[in-house]
Amino acid sequence: MAKAVAGAILRAGNPGRSGHALSIRSARDLFVARERLAELFGCADSSRFVFSENATVALNQAIKGVLRPGDHVVTTSVEHNSVMRPLRRMEEAGVRVTVVPAREDGVTEARDVIAAFRKATRLVVMVHASNVSGALQPVDAVVAAAHRRGILTLVDAAQTAGSVPIDLSSLPVDLLAASGHKGLLGPQGTGFLFVREGVPIVPLIEGGTGSRSESDRQPEFFPDALESGTPNSVGVAGLAVSLAWILRKGVGTIRRGEVALVDLLLHGLSRISGVTVYGPADPLLRGSAVSFRVEGMDPAEVGARLEKRSGVLVRAGLHCSPNGHRALGTFPAGTVRVSPGPFTMRAEIATFLSSLRKIRGPSA
Amino acid sequence: MTRAKDPVLILIFRGTHQVLSAEKRLKGGGVPMRLIPVPRHLSSDCGLAIRVPLDQRDRARDILSRARLLPVSAHLPREGGEYDPVVL
Repeated sequence: MAKAVAGAILRAGNPGRSGHALSIRSARDLFVARERLAELFGCADSSRFVFSENATVALNQAIKGVLRPGDHVVTTSVEHNSVMRPLRRMEEAGVRVTVVPAREDGVTEARDVIAAFRKATRLVVMVHASNVSGALQPVDAVVAAAHRRGILTLVDAAQTAGSVPIDLSSLPVDLLAASGHKGLLGPQGTGFLFVREGVPIVPLIEGGTGSRSESDRQPEFFPDALESGTPNSVGVAGLAVSLAWILRKGVGTIRRGEVALVDLLLHGLSRISGVTVYGPADPLLRGSAVSFRVEGMDPAEVGARLEKRSGVLVRAGLHCSPNGHRALGTFPAGTVRVSPGPFTMRAEIATFLSSLRKIRGPSA
Repeated sequence: MTRAKDPVLILIFRGTHQVLSAEKRLKGGGVPMRLIPVPRHLSSDCGLAIRVPLDQRDRARDILSRARLLPVSAHLPREGGEYDPVVL
């Protein structure tokens, strides 16, 4: 992936802007990555995948491109701020927002979300797996119910794309957003929004697309409708290589590997006294993020000691999700979060657990 | 690939993604084709077009029609750099 990015930056032409060789190569990088996204997520038409800088931009595009004053939107209490902040902005513009509370383990009940639907409900926004508790949300049931009622659905798959199978041919979700640098193993500065054909959406950003240049109106066809300005074809060239690796490996295989590592983590953490783990106890009910606290220690201190002792890098604090932490009862101090990926070794989990045992207590 | 004098058809698409999708499908269907810069006479766009041999017209239309990728316009080059619009 890194080699692909390095190669692309040395030959970066502006895709779609010229007919010369470098422009065509960059355009091919975008095209190949789009085709691989479509294959990975089971969609026949790759033009419906719009590249963005990250999941946050994709979520902003989806939320602000669909909702209008007077609309009602349903979401959950475990959303990331990349969902909550745009929703609160839209609330100021006359959109009504219902936040459905999650259980103590960070899972939102499908029936509670569905019970919040009203006549004016335009959109349901749901994270696939919480970035705090790791809890998988009942996306299938909620999307199916919303689809039957003609309510649009947006799933934030930042924590699951590439790690948990998502099949757009069987899941009738209207909008799906994810970042490229997490489970999709691409570089930072990449992400995407999938928009199902027929979903009315207004671009957040208009500008040059290289197409319909005779007109000063934004084109309505995809992906150009939502992709203005010079894209990050360098980053996407790296993402294309990562996607090829994931397709060869198979998301199912990656998922099984991560579930086994999360199982190992959960078991190991449960044997350390003074450690509280959040989220579902069953690794099959969670993504690969595991949040915990150590009694009597600030999460930031735990993180700093883990790095100093063993070079284990964790994220400590609120994880840009204050509501997610309120749902778990870990606001405002937050938690320590570890997230095994497809390249994590069992021995690394053992090192982490051993380090955690040792850093407990003020003398460590 | 076609010789310069062989009659060809120039296909113009809505955007770069559609051009590259059409290229993939035409190549997959065994239609000889070439990506070319969009001739300035045909569009103000700064992107790409597809050139296919005229005798591949029916195959190209069938493949692109099935893929919902029909071009926005098709053109036959004339002497002197002019183009005649045609239906694919």
